Amino acid sequence: MLVNDPAAAHFEIDPDRTDLVEEFRRNPKGPHSDTLRKVLHRMRWSGEGGRFVLVTVEPGRRWVLGRLPERRGRPVELFHNQTFDDPADAEWHVFKVRWQAITGRAIAGGRSGEPD
Amino acid sequence: MVDTNSVLGYATPLIVSPGERVRFHLSSRSMTECGVEVVRVRCGDPDPAGPGLRLHAMNSAVDGRRPLRFQPIRPGSFALVPNRLPFGTLSSFGFACFLWPTWPAKGESERGAIQTVAARVANGGAGWRLEIGPDARLRFVVAAAGGRTATAIAEEPLREREWVFVAARYDAGGAMLLDVVSLDPQAGRDATSSAGTSAPGGVIWSGSAPLTFGARQAGEERGRPVTADHFNGKIDRPRLVSAALPAGELRGLCEAVDPRPGDPRIVGAWDFAHGIGTDRVHDRSANRLDGQLHNLPARGATGANWDGSAVSWQARPEHYGAVHFHDDDMADAGWEPDFALEVPPDWPSGFYALRLTGTGAGGDPMDSFVGFFVRAPLGQARAPVAFVASTATFLAYANSALRLDQVHAESMLEGLMQLSRDDCYIAEHRELGLSTYDTHSDGSGWIYSTALRPILSMRPRANSFNYVNDTHVLDWLEEKGFAYDVIADDDIHREGAALLGQYRCVITGTHPEYYSREMCDAFDAYQRGGGRHMYLGGNGFYWRIAWNPALPSAIEVRRDVSGVRTWEGEPGEAHHSYTGEFAGLWRQNGRPPQRLVGVGFDAQVFDRSAWYRRLPESHDPRVAFIFEGVGADERIGDFGLRNGGAAGLEIDRAEPTLGSPPHLLRVATADRIGYGGLPSPEEFRTSHRGLDGEQNANVRADMVFFPTAAGGGVFATGSIAWACALSCRGYDNNVSRITENVLRRFLDPAPFAGF
Repeated sequence: MLVNDPAAAHFEIDPDRTDLVEEFRRNPKGPHSDTLRKVLHRMRWSGEGGRFVLVTVEPGRRWVLGRLPERRGRPVELFHNQTFDDPADAEWHVFKVRWQAITGRAIAGGRSGEPD
Repeated sequence: MVDTNSVLGYATPLIVSPGERVRFHLSSRSMTECGVEVVRVRCGDPDPAGPGLRLHAMNSAVDGRRPLRFQPIRPGSFALVPNRLPFGTLSSFGFACFLWPTWPAKGESERGAIQTVAARVANGGAGWRLEIGPDARLRFVVAAAGGRTATAIAEEPLREREWVFVAARYDAGGAMLLDVVSLDPQAGRDATSSAGTSAPGGVIWSGSAPLTFGARQAGEERGRPVTADHFNGKIDRPRLVSAALPAGELRGLCEAVDPRPGDPRIVGAWDFAHGIGTDRVHDRSANRLDGQLHNLPARGATGANWDGSAVSWQARPEHYGAVHFHDDDMADAGWEPDFALEVPPDWPSGFYALRLTGTGAGGDPMDSFVGFFVRAPLGQARAPVAFVASTATFLAYANSALRLDQVHAESMLEGLMQLSRDDCYIAEHRELGLSTYDTHSDGSGWIYSTALRPILSMRPRANSFNYVNDTHVLDWLEEKGFAYDVIADDDIHREGAALLGQYRCVITGTHPEYYSREMCDAFDAYQRGGGRHMYLGGNGFYWRIAWNPALPSAIEVRRDVSGVRTWEGEPGEAHHSYTGEFAGLWRQNGRPPQRLVGVGFDAQVFDRSAWYRRLPESHDPRVAFIFEGVGADERIGDFGLRNGGAAGLEIDRAEPTLGSPPHLLRVATADRIGYGGLPSPEEFRTSHRGLDGEQNANVRADMVFFPTAAGGGVFATGSIAWACALSCRGYDNNVSRITENVLRRFLDPAPFAGF
């Protein structure tokens, strides 16, 4: 039985590559450089830091951040204080959470570099 | 947030003719009444960038306020042999079978969960049960009517997906025995053990209880059995005997695929290899204790004796004596109908829905729907154009939880998933039954899907795939003033080419992916007979399916060998149980889509959609009609509701080696797809770098035309995203123009000259 193994995404992320952070900050939707693609694949496949999702509040206009349950049959956890009117902002938010979970280093600021 | 699920329901039948009756089965946990209105669907997509929801109120006889009640769904499959004469006359007995548990440790994660292999218990619990306990160990329980209970428990836990022979015996003298024998007892796999204990003597067995496999009976509701403690895994060759025989003798009776009916010790010897295409279980004993399967467990499943010498159940049925039960199988919710609608004879054919409104459980406004379809009266086409409701595809994707359960989804989409309220509902309500893209709780794939349950993905406001995307074609047809009938996959399968032959042009939508042989034959004959076919989608004509011969709107899908598979089927189980046909892709069945419609699936591209550029063949005067009003260098479809382009999501290309016809003209292509374009597995022989769309010119969407015999023709766009670009810029765009040019020409009976 072929299964998808979350632990299979093992690209080693260099915490000093802040240039990759800045690349994502500038352009969350991509296209991205080769190395950033690998970083994103690890984040998205492994679930480290949380399997985040967006839940549509208003189609095409507003989304709330959610997290998938660890086990089937449990509810999707919703973070009602984290809503977005641009999915790119949500991508950046989740990137920061995952970067910290994997590298141990926090990233400050919003997408345009301002404190958030 | 609009509440789309405080009331759910389904319609029977799913597809109805004018003048016929459609029944609505509704349920709500939280509401006692709601508003009801029948609507004809023009656009089911609430996306504010598109036309928005466009629903035409029909002012039907059932409109108004309706009371609601809660009707439960009881998932889990099982076999039930009704009580018959021999059961109550037994004193000592033995039960044995081969067993392949797929989730023996369920009790660890679902605290206290028990899984029943076989049981005969009366209301109140008296009787016997062979079951897997919460600790993964097999146990045999005898509960006498007076409350005296004894249990024999195997020493070793069962191992996942390892065959064992099991034998349980009750001796009326006051003893019980349980044997587990591993069929491959090496390298750490051995779960062999024996257990015995004293038991209440002389138990008088119930004179009314049924015998069940895969669950125990816990009651009855409206004439339907209510069962509990469902099993996950395969049961092969169960035998019931009238004496506490030694394990070796029972093993011999189980090994015999054709036990002697004259053996007076045999009470029942069930042969699950008999009637694989049905929901009946057959007893080979002289007692003929036949039974019934409930909720469609998987048939055509390899048994303990399967050795690979045949890979089809038709070739060696004796190797396919197993049924694979799942605790979450769901084929028929069994809800009572709440009301019925006589569809007026003058209603136009179309996508319809019962709209359910009110205030939902959390105080949000509710706007829920039950989807159904109205066909033109059979044999009485009312328009020159037919649009195909891809009901097989809608069934295949029904209630998919793929994005919730499978880790690949975010990587595949190259971004955060956008879930709907329906997704959140399905996360917690697996009792609805999932799609053929999903895995059961034991990790095996869903192979059956039916319409006798609420389908959240087949109605307005559903996730934007398949059904909702197809309504963009309906919206465009109405906007442009083209009259059309809707015909459904079910009808094409049943009525064949004659149904299609009523129409000058047949349009298949964004994702006509699931086709039976009969449906392929119908399109082939239609096209050869001069029919015109516009295929406005991607990934079409891809999987070979079988329709349930007895149950309407129920399909079977087997994912083996190749293709984009969100699960991989078991070895030896690539043949449909309903028909015996080899399943898999049409490409592997000698009928690649390129042969039927010129193009075939090559890649998924979910991160961004692309645009088409015209190719030299687009200037061939024979196809000038396609590009009237479109400039030579125009980007075609550099806009759209699905990731900004008309070529995206799932895309198809022409390929002569797979059957694209010699007369095919490849008039445009979208071949700059980017690294998010990833080829389907059958598109490459060996793994290598450079497979993605940035480097691989075969990751592309082709727009093609070719003439067929007798003045027919086929036009294909090879992209799911195409239809979702039709409405852009007020329907005044080159995707809309090309579609209209082709449809007008296809409605003109003049043959295509010069080929």
